[in-house]
Amino acid sequence: MFALRQWWSRYALRASLLALALASAWSIYRLNAAPIYEIYRWMTLPLQPGPSRAEILESSAAQELRQRIIELEIQNRTLREAVAANSTTDQQGIPAAVIGRSASDWWQQLVLSRGSRDGVEIGDIVAGPGGLVGRIVAVSPSSSRVLLISDTTSRVGARVSRSRATGYVRGQAGQQLIMEFFDKMPEVEVGDVIVTSAYSQLFPEGMAIGRVVELDLSKSPAPEVTLELSAPLNVVEWVEIIPFDAQQATPSEPNDASSEPSEQFSQPGQP
Amino acid sequence: MTLSSPKSRFGMARYRWLNTVVILGSVLHCLLLLPARLPGMELLGVTPNWLLVWVVAWSLKRNQWESAIAGLTLGLLQDAMTSPYPTHTIGLVLVALLTNRIQKQRFIQEDFISVAIIVFGMVVLAQTTIAFQVTLHKLLQPQSLYPAFTAIWQQHQRIVLSSAILTSLWAPVLYYPLNQWWRYFAQRTAPPVNSQNPL
Repeated sequence: MFALRQWWSRYALRASLLALALASAWSIYRLNAAPIYEIYRWMTLPLQPGPSRAEILESSAAQELRQRIIELEIQNRTLREAVAANSTTDQQGIPAAVIGRSASDWWQQLVLSRGSRDGVEIGDIVAGPGGLVGRIVAVSPSSSRVLLISDTTSRVGARVSRSRATGYVRGQAGQQLIMEFFDKMPEVEVGDVIVTSAYSQLFPEGMAIGRVVELDLSKSPAPEVTLELSAPLNVVEWVEIIPFDAQQATPSEPNDASSEPSEQFSQPGQP
Repeated sequence: MTLSSPKSRFGMARYRWLNTVVILGSVLHCLLLLPARLPGMELLGVTPNWLLVWVVAWSLKRNQWESAIAGLTLGLLQDAMTSPYPTHTIGLVLVALLTNRIQKQRFIQEDFISVAIIVFGMVVLAQTTIAFQVTLHKLLQPQSLYPAFTAIWQQHQRIVLSSAILTSLWAPVLYYPLNQWWRYFAQRTAPPVNSQNPL
């Protein structure tokens, strides 16, 4: 007891300071580092890209539009056959600047300059110049964090827009992604555009992801192809946050015979 | 430390406050540098691990409890900024304890080269604990979203090499001012009788 009291009288200040440090770290942990990202956002304010925003969005949107035209043509044909379709995504996006990137090397994330004060919510979709970029995973009052589709834990239900062969896309921590097919003999060629499929519960249907650059159809257990992202994730400066409610997404696509229901392919995010 | 004249006690209190400001300020500075991508601080998409340098600088002068708690605290902060799993806390606590051990054994001098070498080794250790956690998750969870083992360890290899080189090169930038300040602080506040803060 005496030893304990002696210890306390000697180290009280130091011990309580360490406990305080630990407690404040824990509270920041519970807040998903929101205070730190708030400070970061205000400190980087002068560095954020400003004037050329509109032209960047416009010029880079051209590629996305081209891919979407292909997609729409095919969708149009299908819709004429099955009349009851209502899957036009009314996209009223919030433009946001990319102000930072992942705080650790094992994640592929972006920090954006818009947060809950601007109406951003967890689960919103982020589209960049060229197509899908990722999904909001954390929000602070004036910044938000995106898990990119190139993260190794990301899974997006996808299909080839030309042949409707379905599968899922997984990230590889780079500009190239792998798409695995459910079908043994998918109809896919180099240059095909890959878009999100209706089976993805976390992403709206028909958003451009990328273009096929390499085929490996003999791969076991499932044939896979490599795609190049259409959105340049390493240099992207402006993105658009599209509000998306995962529950309201209902598959409006007629069932493909080739697809099999799978739990894993539409659950990107943190494990 | 407790027995001192009013004048020096006032001075000590002032230095204590200044020390707190330096500690909190440098940690905040490191945290804010993490998501930033400044020119020269990026190699193959990998950035210096500032928190690890801070933990090494801190642990070289503290006892093992203080080192471990600093590692845990900064690990929690980095987890908050990324995601809770795989956690950085294990790596940083190990780094803190090991650095403390090395310092106790007097294996090293406190100069740039030794610190850079320690940091290099510690980055490898910290990144390997993360890779192990990912591997474990893949092994134990059948629904794990992580890629195959070969892919995990390839990623580990890529990250470790660039991160270790970059972090050890940038380490003096943070280590030197912190070390100078703590040395000055120890000189000012603690007469040689206090053996708790050996310099």
